[in-house]
Amino acid sequence: MTLMSTQKKSNKADQSYWGTVKRQFNKNRSAVWSLRVVYVIFFVGIFADFFANEKPIYCKLDGQTYFPIFREYAVAAGVAGMPSELLNVDWVNANYESVLRAPIPYSPLTKDWDNAYANPTKKQDVKSWRFRHFLGSDQLGRDLLSGLIHGTRIAMLVGIVSMGIASFIGILLGAIAGYFGDERLQFSRSTLLWNALFLFFAWFYAFNTRMFIMTDALSESFGGFLFQFLISTVIFLAIMVIPNLIAIPFKRIAFFGKRVTIPIDIIISRTIEILNSVPILLLILSICAVVKRPSIMLIMVIIGLTGWTGIAGFIRAELLKVRSLEYIEAAESLGYSQWRIMLRHAIPNSLTSVLITIAFGVASAILTETSLSFLGIGVQSDVVTWGKLLNEAHADVSGWWFAVFPGLAIFVTVTVFNLLGEGLTDAMDPRLKQ
Amino acid sequence: MFLYILKRILYFIPTFFVIALFTFFMGAIAPGDPVELKLSSGMQGSEGQGQVSDKLAGESAYRDLNIKLGRDLPIFYFTVTSKAYPDTLYKVLRKNERENLERLIDQYNNWPQIDAYYKSVKVLELAAITSPVDASDSSAFSKIKMVREGCNDLYRNYDDAVIQLDLEKIKTAVNGTIQVRDSAGGVHAYQALTGLSKYSEAVASNYSGMRAHPTNDLKYKPALHVYGWHNQFHRWLFGDVPWFGENSDPTRHSKGFFRGDFGDSYLDSRPVSSILKDAMKWTLLLNLIAFIIIYSISIPAGVSLAIHKGSTYDRVATAWLFVLYSIPVAWVGTMLIVFFTSDYYGSWMALFPPYGLGKIGPDYTMWAKVVDRTHHFILPVFCIVYGSFAFISRQVRGGMLSVLRQDYIRTAFAKGLEPGKVYWKHAFRNSLIPIITMFSSFLPAMISGAVIVEYLFTIPGMGRVSYESVGARNFPVQFTILMFSALLTMAGTLLSDILYVVTDPRISFTKKEG
Repeated sequence: MTLMSTQKKSNKADQSYWGTVKRQFNKNRSAVWSLRVVYVIFFVGIFADFFANEKPIYCKLDGQTYFPIFREYAVAAGVAGMPSELLNVDWVNANYESVLRAPIPYSPLTKDWDNAYANPTKKQDVKSWRFRHFLGSDQLGRDLLSGLIHGTRIAMLVGIVSMGIASFIGILLGAIAGYFGDERLQFSRSTLLWNALFLFFAWFYAFNTRMFIMTDALSESFGGFLFQFLISTVIFLAIMVIPNLIAIPFKRIAFFGKRVTIPIDIIISRTIEILNSVPILLLILSICAVVKRPSIMLIMVIIGLTGWTGIAGFIRAELLKVRSLEYIEAAESLGYSQWRIMLRHAIPNSLTSVLITIAFGVASAILTETSLSFLGIGVQSDVVTWGKLLNEAHADVSGWWFAVFPGLAIFVTVTVFNLLGEGLTDAMDPRLKQ
Repeated sequence: MFLYILKRILYFIPTFFVIALFTFFMGAIAPGDPVELKLSSGMQGSEGQGQVSDKLAGESAYRDLNIKLGRDLPIFYFTVTSKAYPDTLYKVLRKNERENLERLIDQYNNWPQIDAYYKSVKVLELAAITSPVDASDSSAFSKIKMVREGCNDLYRNYDDAVIQLDLEKIKTAVNGTIQVRDSAGGVHAYQALTGLSKYSEAVASNYSGMRAHPTNDLKYKPALHVYGWHNQFHRWLFGDVPWFGENSDPTRHSKGFFRGDFGDSYLDSRPVSSILKDAMKWTLLLNLIAFIIIYSISIPAGVSLAIHKGSTYDRVATAWLFVLYSIPVAWVGTMLIVFFTSDYYGSWMALFPPYGLGKIGPDYTMWAKVVDRTHHFILPVFCIVYGSFAFISRQVRGGMLSVLRQDYIRTAFAKGLEPGKVYWKHAFRNSLIPIITMFSSFLPAMISGAVIVEYLFTIPGMGRVSYESVGARNFPVQFTILMFSALLTMAGTLLSDILYVVTDPRISFTKKEG
């Protein structure tokens, strides 16, 4: 009996799509290891504050017990303030009664003047091995390893934010292009005319009249700008509802009711081609020159806004295949609307394979960001990134540790995501395997 | 076939215009006033010290340069604004003043009153400059300076609190008394600037009038202003001098993008086309060398990997190629510079020069130049080559493998052809076509990579020039390079598509697949 059920179970697992993919993926040793490294990178990125921090995790100072790192999170969240006696503490050298430090007792910007430009292989002027700069330090005595650990977080954020944006745009546009093609996207003349008319007003009220609100927000902070932009988008969409309502009665008139085909595939494919023809680094360089105060967040968003073409092309090709499958026809004969079929039935079916392009996309996004911060574009003085650290070697060749370690971090991350993409490709589409 | 190429070229046009539009508007929203930048880099003006003639000369120089650069024109064929905006706002030449007026319009939406206020400030400033004050009277002079500064602040501020402060400042300066010690030793006070008081009062009353009568309903009424062909965008692309025949209008200067006139650099007034020509020379040379090397190594490598498919050699080499492909250029370049261009880590390790082009100029013989340049180019070319080499080798391998699976290859083996002939004559030739045409897909990446390589090795190519103009906010150079790199890539894509059709009779783009 038990034998039967286990057999049944394994049979079932064998047949499911994910089961096959998983099995194929697990056969690929390098891909499995890459995935593990990705986990490690994420872990380090998320808990960077606990791996490298000048503030102790727990400490007893003048008879008081503190948890400074947690306290800092509370301050950042706005639920607590920093006690005044902690504001001017020299965290590294303070006389604690008892203390539990982070493994690396330096923040990326902590200056250790006694060990300026410390060579990792040479003797360092430190109290104990605990305070050693394992990977060296820069001219101001800032610890390299700590910088790398906190740079992991930036790299991770770049991957997540930019690929999040890129996936959203890419999946939507690619699906529309692939599913509707050049023939299937049809609107009545009345809908088109009313929409064209209202597009002008929607743009005017949402963006033109709110222009200064948005530019002011942008000069404050990028987050504020995004918020204002969101409000504008909501206004825009709200206005665009009106023409679609007005258009309904007009459709009864023969002339306005006639349907017009929009070659959406051509339009989207052209857009992809335009974006692909612009060298991405030069484009971001130009945008950063125009923006008054470029920040790392802005760069992530730009990478996302320009990096969706790969995903779109992939999804488009997938949906071209899916479109002619029978279950789509079945859904059509059930009377579902085209949009519903696309969003609910066609896209989910091809979504898993997008993981491949996303994995490659993360690699190239991280590469682009490190290249930019290597060039010193969009880096803020209080943010430490891998590219910025690597550039210090370019400034002074005697610090070999700045050439080796940050580059290694970038290389490992990029390779791991590329290997992951390869592994997923092999697992999901074994035919492509050569 | 011909139709297909024609269609592709026609597609090229809208694509070009989209990129041009994007580039142009990036330049338009870019911060800073290029005319002011150019003037200040050209001459050290005596700003603030205030000779009447200086000020007027500065104004007219500013005006002339604006006209020369075509910045006195409306920006586009049309604009959409709220009804509160006048359609002639572009005639206010000073960019910061214009932006400030836009802010005021946004706040109060009553252009007639704002116009009156703006003009009254101008009148006050002019009156302050030309007011007959004894040059030896330093305290009167400082009061005039205060008034002028106040006016300058008014041009740049739209916040009510700040403007009230400025008005107050002007008022105290105008009404303030100056104490003069006469030769007899007695002290008497007099008002030096009474002549200005009626102007400053006009400013104040115009300002309060502007604040008192806002017409905010205008803000929500859209208005379309059409300006016609004579605008900055059109001038930038097509120029404003006639295409044929002599230019009779001395106010027209630009030949436009299509006739090779990309404007002048903000920094040294050099024509962008000449800067670009010099820069492009190096980038193209570097990439051409790299290109030849890439193809001449990666094709044999890829083919031999495909032939030995599944062997240890293939597996190890393929894995290494993958790793090689993932190594960031910035890292490789930095490592090479750190370890192989200085003798810091050992005297023999300074193998290559760290940066630059090597010997330039007429003093050297051709041969010496070539040798030295080769020495300088080894590292940068290596940096460009290795990644693309890995990529293309893998592609060649893949392409070969898909051909080797075909039946006709088996037939060729079966009929007893020698393997070399099968591989190179039958298989390779058929897998070659997609490889030749593949360059279009890595052209953008190569140009992007060139930015890093040229930055690292200080080679004055397009990447380096672009990087430097970003730092200096030298937008004409920056955006022309952006346009050109896009155009180059598009031309590459076009060429590769055409080659594709020409070389492979099986492919036809004109017939649509079901």
